[in-house]
Amino acid sequence: MITIKELEKWFGQLHVLKGIDLTVNPSEVVVIIGASGSGKSTLLRCINFLEKFQKGEIVIEGKVVNQQNEEMINEIRSRVGMVFQHFNLFPHMTVLQNVIEGPTQVKGIAQEEATKIGQYYLDKVGLLDKEDAYPSTLSGGQKQRVAIARALAMEPSAILFDEPTSALDPELVGEVLSVMKFLARDGMTMVIVTHEMDFAREVADRVVYMDEGLIMEQGTPQQVFDTPQKERTQSFLSRVR
Amino acid sequence: MYDFKALIEFFPYFLPAAWLTIVVSFFGIVLGVVLGLLTAFACISSKLVFNLPARLYIFAIRGTPLLLQILFLYYSLRGIFNFEAMTSAIVALGVHNGAYIAEIFRGAIQSIAVGQMEAARSLGMTYRKAMLRIVLPQAFKRAIPSLGNQFIIALKDSSLASAITIKELLLKAQQLGASNFKMMEMLTIAAFFYLIYTSIFTWLFHRVEEKLSVSGNA
Repeated sequence: MITIKELEKWFGQLHVLKGIDLTVNPSEVVVIIGASGSGKSTLLRCINFLEKFQKGEIVIEGKVVNQQNEEMINEIRSRVGMVFQHFNLFPHMTVLQNVIEGPTQVKGIAQEEATKIGQYYLDKVGLLDKEDAYPSTLSGGQKQRVAIARALAMEPSAILFDEPTSALDPELVGEVLSVMKFLARDGMTMVIVTHEMDFAREVADRVVYMDEGLIMEQGTPQQVFDTPQKERTQSFLSRVR
Repeated sequence: MYDFKALIEFFPYFLPAAWLTIVVSFFGIVLGVVLGLLTAFACISSKLVFNLPARLYIFAIRGTPLLLQILFLYYSLRGIFNFEAMTSAIVALGVHNGAYIAEIFRGAIQSIAVGQMEAARSLGMTYRKAMLRIVLPQAFKRAIPSLGNQFIIALKDSSLASAITIKELLLKAQQLGASNFKMMEMLTIAAFFYLIYTSIFTWLFHRVEEKLSVSGNA
């Protein structure tokens, strides 16, 4: 589904990704963990081409993506959704308008049909009753669920989650995670950057530990959490527990 | 002695001038908004061919007095295109306000969080579409209070057109005052019109702000 080969990225002098190789298979849930500054969010943003990288390549559904080709990138983005830490809902649109913006404007689906699709996914995240509300009236957890519905309405083949619960009050984290668990069980391909270790253990097919721009260790949640092989992984896990 | 009766007696003489003030201001503002929008986009562009002229334009206009610009355009346009004074006044007011309005739009567009553009792009939208549908509507809303302020300034600045023989409110007051020796009274009548105009603007913008605030911010 997604194959990353020898990806390297610099921010000016700063070498943030130092050669990442990662493959995400269809219906797989890959959770990326690591300290802040380890490059995990940057990696995720590279997969959505919100960041340009200097070396390596990204292959999505068998095609090597040329990051200079805007048209190709737009097409890839319409098939790989993204959920942001700060939701980034469109404040001048209602919840339903937010959700159908992609289907109508990018895929050219007619308003009526898009509305049906939008309502279907709003129902999935449990917010159909809020379809006419503006984002400013929602709680953080509700906003993030709308953002997930917005990504789902594009009917993507994979969704990237960039610390989706980091900006939420603790009591609102659960509702977002349970929507994500539901998606995972439904077979959605997901790449998730998160600090929620219990959640990672529960939903991940594979856990990837990143450290200073490199993948230090990866494996099943049991392998990484219970029997980490590398010393840096052990010390990171002991700090977050 | 201040002659209160003169206020009423000479009031009708001001009506053509009052209309002229509206015409100069209106077309000046419309031209200013168009120029301002184009310049704001040029400023944001990473391409030097757009970026540099826009910055030079703003630099030149903000660094010189409007009165000088009006006189400069009047003498140069009259020479080159045989423009009437009226056209020169409108062009000068438009060009002047365009620079200020460009800064208002640029600031408003850049104040919209990067995340908005990113979210739109991540759905697969083109830059153009994301700008048009996601960033600009929010930026316009944010620009409204500053725009309102600038329109009021433009309206009052139309009085400087008097320097190139446009018989708008101020020149009318000066001419009448010089012949009937009731300068204070004539200026009062002109002031009355300006107050009415600016009050209408203020009220209008408050209404627009209220209307738009219904759909709140995130």
